Amino acid sequence: MDRVIKIIKREFKTKVLTKGFIIGTILGPIFLLGMIFGPAFFMNLSEEEPLQIEVVDESAILFNPLIKAFDDTLSNGQPRFILIPIEPRVYYNRRENFRQRIEEGETSILLILPQDIVDGGEITYLSRSVSEMDLIQSIRRRINDEVNQIRLKQAGLDPQQISKLTRRIDIKTIKIEKGKETERGVGQEFITSFIFLMILYMTILLYGAGVMRSVLEEKTSRIIEVLLSSSNSFNLMMGKIFGVGSAGLVQYAIWSLMSVGVFFVASASAPKLMDQVTISRDTFFFFALFFVIGFFQFATLYAAVGAMCSTQDDAQAMSVPVTILIIIPFLVSFMVINNPTSDAAQILSMIPFFTPMLMFLRITLVAPPAWEIIAAIGINLIAILFFVWVSSKIYRVGILLHGKRPTVPEIVKWLKYK
Amino acid sequence: MNALRVENITKTYDSFKAVDNISFSIQEGRLFGLLGPNGAGKTTTMRMIMNIIIPDSGKIFLFDETFTEKHKDIIGYLPEERGLYPKMTLIDHLQFLGEMKGMSSTEAKKISLQWLGRFNLLEWEGKKIQELSKGMQQKVQFIATIMHSPKLLILDEPFSGLDPVNTKFLKDILMQLKQEGATIILSTHLMDQAEKLCDDICLINKGRVVIQGNLREKKEEYGHNSVILEYSGDASFVRNLSMVEKLNDYGNYMAIQLKDGSTPHQLFQILAGKKFEVKKFEAAETSLNEIFIDIVGGKSHG
Repeated sequence: MDRVIKIIKREFKTKVLTKGFIIGTILGPIFLLGMIFGPAFFMNLSEEEPLQIEVVDESAILFNPLIKAFDDTLSNGQPRFILIPIEPRVYYNRRENFRQRIEEGETSILLILPQDIVDGGEITYLSRSVSEMDLIQSIRRRINDEVNQIRLKQAGLDPQQISKLTRRIDIKTIKIEKGKETERGVGQEFITSFIFLMILYMTILLYGAGVMRSVLEEKTSRIIEVLLSSSNSFNLMMGKIFGVGSAGLVQYAIWSLMSVGVFFVASASAPKLMDQVTISRDTFFFFALFFVIGFFQFATLYAAVGAMCSTQDDAQAMSVPVTILIIIPFLVSFMVINNPTSDAAQILSMIPFFTPMLMFLRITLVAPPAWEIIAAIGINLIAILFFVWVSSKIYRVGILLHGKRPTVPEIVKWLKYK
Repeated sequence: MNALRVENITKTYDSFKAVDNISFSIQEGRLFGLLGPNGAGKTTTMRMIMNIIIPDSGKIFLFDETFTEKHKDIIGYLPEERGLYPKMTLIDHLQFLGEMKGMSSTEAKKISLQWLGRFNLLEWEGKKIQELSKGMQQKVQFIATIMHSPKLLILDEPFSGLDPVNTKFLKDILMQLKQEGATIILSTHLMDQAEKLCDDICLINKGRVVIQGNLREKKEEYGHNSVILEYSGDASFVRNLSMVEKLNDYGNYMAIQLKDGSTPHQLFQILAGKKFEVKKFEAAETSLNEIFIDIVGGKSHG
């Protein structure tokens, strides 16, 4: 046992005292935030200019109401849209001219509102790009609203009365958890879970692959046989997994301290904003628990892959099946975020490989009954014991073999070796 | 007392018998050579002694006890493929391997420094292993093998890849450890090395024991009567003598192998009456190398 501790100590030291680890620990959160808020930030940046829309209004009744409907402003105070009226006659006379201007980028959007728009005629949207779904939908909705108003008036109804009568009902969401009621928005819930899920996914992937690299290093540098003369292959493999895993937990601990620090600073300077962020201690606890479970499942498999291979290239190819086992639950978890109470979510969250991400999500989103959590953990612990058994068999034989990549039948044979 | 006793160990991979029912024992304090051509099963045997590979059948006893993991602490093992942590510093590397043999970290550090001093590597102590020359790395490897003063040393092809300086260095150290009471097993396919060093040998081929026992006795048993003759003049008649079994004529000297029952002295008497000049007459012992080639070569050619 003391040998295992020595191995863990060495592994931990060589992992933690590297530039890569220190940089990763500091830059990791920044990178993550960048990934989440970056796209939105850049999208805002690119929209900081008013958008010119040329409108050919054949119906002759819509242009003026539309100016009111397109009156929102950008964050710098400029109007977001500038509508330019084009006489239909002018447009049809010099149609080629207008089209050319669109192609050359002088006009960004040209809208043609047909004469029968109130009776169901189609709007024509001309632009170099028709992939900006949000923008197109927003334009369609605004025009649709105005057309509706006109239709109501023509039918002799009072639009204001109608909008009052068909007013939508708002919904307030309250989560019941441990007898407490917390008022939380669906969006907040989603973002908190999503951030934790991302961290879980990335760290399991990174540290799992880290175990594989480390096993492969000991194999290719041939130090492994020297170590085998002091301890056995099982201890070496477990020491490796625990060593890399504890480095991961240390990284989490640093990140937690960092976020607690940020939290205190932020709640002192902007208390209102911080009301929005609610991460319970339970979330942290389950996060760490499911990291440990997920890490062990994948790390044992990665250790076996590392022991099978003789080169980095081989390892990259051989680790693909294991990596897919991480990616699939990650993709499935997007479905679970949308529908955390579905039967599929309930069943999948019990299955090894899926449990770490899916059960964690369900716990943060719907607080499933305790027995489900305990059962999932139990099933996963049994699975881990099985993976440890299989991997240690593969590790013991593979770690001493060099040369060509083993085939699946050969690996099955290894399991039977005494 | 036997330092090591191996009883009927066998290891089969698929249908290939890497080691086939091998038994031998080594007395404490002896230097034992496990000899054989490449692929004979030497490395597999040594790995089984270290419990790195588990035999399909057979037993291994260390100092008359059944092998357990704790015995690894009293063994120093040098694998055929040398391995170091290229990115660790010299001192960290040795300290770690010392600790893996059950030394406390302070003790491991102290002993490491002592050995580094003896090997003239003290100034490299804080350098990473990958910065050292190959010769220095080999020295680090020996230190790691012997730093915990093992009672039993198992060395797989210890001289392969060594320069002459390190070869002598290693030999001196082995002799010293032997004097201090250590038992040493080394495998080699270099017979002249084995001949100079070993007390006892076990020659294996294709996974089976071919010869084993005391080196001197075995050489007498399997050796031939041979004579090295340096001459000038016409000596072609020697080839036709009835007592000659085999002869290699190199022009200035010939190596003659006599038939069983004839002695070098009988040949000497015949030569004395002939008209040619004998410059040197040497009754030579057959080298281990010749025995090796005779037995192994003979068998492999059918």
